[in-house]
Amino acid sequence: MIKIGDKTINPTKIICVGTNYMDHIEETKLPVPKEPVLFPKTLNCLIGDGDPIIYPKLLFNNRKLKRVDYEVELAFIIKDKCKDVPKSETYEHIMGYSVFNDVTARKMQTKDIISQLPWFRSKSLDTFGPIGPRIASVEEIQDPHNLKIELKVNGEVKQSSNTKHLLFKIPDLMEYITSLFTMEPGDIVATGTPSGISPILPGDLIEATIENIGTLTNKVILEGE
Amino acid sequence: MKIGSTEIFPTKIICLGRNYEEHAKEMKSPIPKEPVFFCKTINCLIKDGEPIIYPRILFENDELNRVDHEVELAIIIKKRCKNIIAKDFGNYILGYTIFLDITARNMQLKDRGINLPWYRSKNFDTFGPIGPKIVEKIKDPHSLKIELKLNGEVKQSSNTKLMIFKIPEIIEYLSKYITLDPGDIVATGTPSGVGPIHPGDILEATIEHIGTLSNNVILGEVESKSF
Repeated sequence: MIKIGDKTINPTKIICVGTNYMDHIEETKLPVPKEPVLFPKTLNCLIGDGDPIIYPKLLFNNRKLKRVDYEVELAFIIKDKCKDVPKSETYEHIMGYSVFNDVTARKMQTKDIISQLPWFRSKSLDTFGPIGPRIASVEEIQDPHNLKIELKVNGEVKQSSNTKHLLFKIPDLMEYITSLFTMEPGDIVATGTPSGISPILPGDLIEATIENIGTLTNKVILEGE
Repeated sequence: MKIGSTEIFPTKIICLGRNYEEHAKEMKSPIPKEPVFFCKTINCLIKDGEPIIYPRILFENDELNRVDHEVELAIIIKKRCKNIIAKDFGNYILGYTIFLDITARNMQLKDRGINLPWYRSKNFDTFGPIGPKIVEKIKDPHSLKIELKLNGEVKQSSNTKLMIFKIPEIIEYLSKYITLDPGDIVATGTPSGVGPIHPGDILEATIEHIGTLSNNVILGEVESKSF
């Protein structure tokens, strides 16, 4: 259960989409995916606007693992239980939109990927999923594929793009995800991050903004501080 | 979710990979130096006696048409915890049960082979049968016969003493990374003998002192879509 603005949601899962912005794919020279790349985050990572992102000591004190990145993403929240939703009915099953920061222990993720291990621990550390500051309704967001999306660290713009660059659009994602899994009310789908990712450190202030939704602000602190 | 007479409200399901040496070998995977874990989402949970639904999108695709059984000892978390020391693990465990980590194997190998997450292959609806009950006290959870029968024929047969990482180490390691919440499920890995299941099959997963979890396999009804 988490309060986002004036709404309380009770998600059962968080599904994230990897490599879903054309500018990010071009920047990283990754292959263009033929179908959406999905991975989960567990609910222990959720925090709200203004809550601190806790930088774990086990990463901070380990030279080989010491790198944590922000990733600003447009998230949509599921309205009702659904399975096998056709693209044309997508928006009937969306409660609204929010800003999500897919915080990632990057060196740990890279190490796990190279060993063909699951992308799990690097993505699901406590507090690694800030969401907020509110849920904007479907009626309010006329075109979710034409929103400026931006992330600042200590006031400096690091990511700046537009949701029009999403490779798989929201209806593509809804149809694909629900062809695989049943979605429940409150479930969160994060649609991927644009280019410009880089590391954060304790003391940093992260501001993630999506046009017409608002700004999600979180400070980074070292575990135990 | 009700397991036997106990109701639990899991927020996550964490599974250990490669935690029996013979299974790591049969998968041609290296023996891990630290626990390998991944998560399953709640939509996969079903109870004793409920059907495992074999998705048509796998059944109708030659490349992806393989789904495997994996029997595992599962522990259920009793209270919220973080940074647990191995010797204190008992204070945080509600009990033990049986879990089937049903896996779309060809999809998993395909995804793994191109460095993609192990996710969709593990999380189809009904791919996580659990039950038939939660046993609170087991004298030695590392000395239990663990077995899986497919249509009456023994396919997996081992003992939890062969787990590479034991339960106290698993809880210590996991809780270093993430907060565990009451009802959370931790599945401790499968022994060797994994193999395919098909619509019409009956699976019986048995762990000594816990019981038998039975589920039949049926083909999904919904028409498949091309992506």
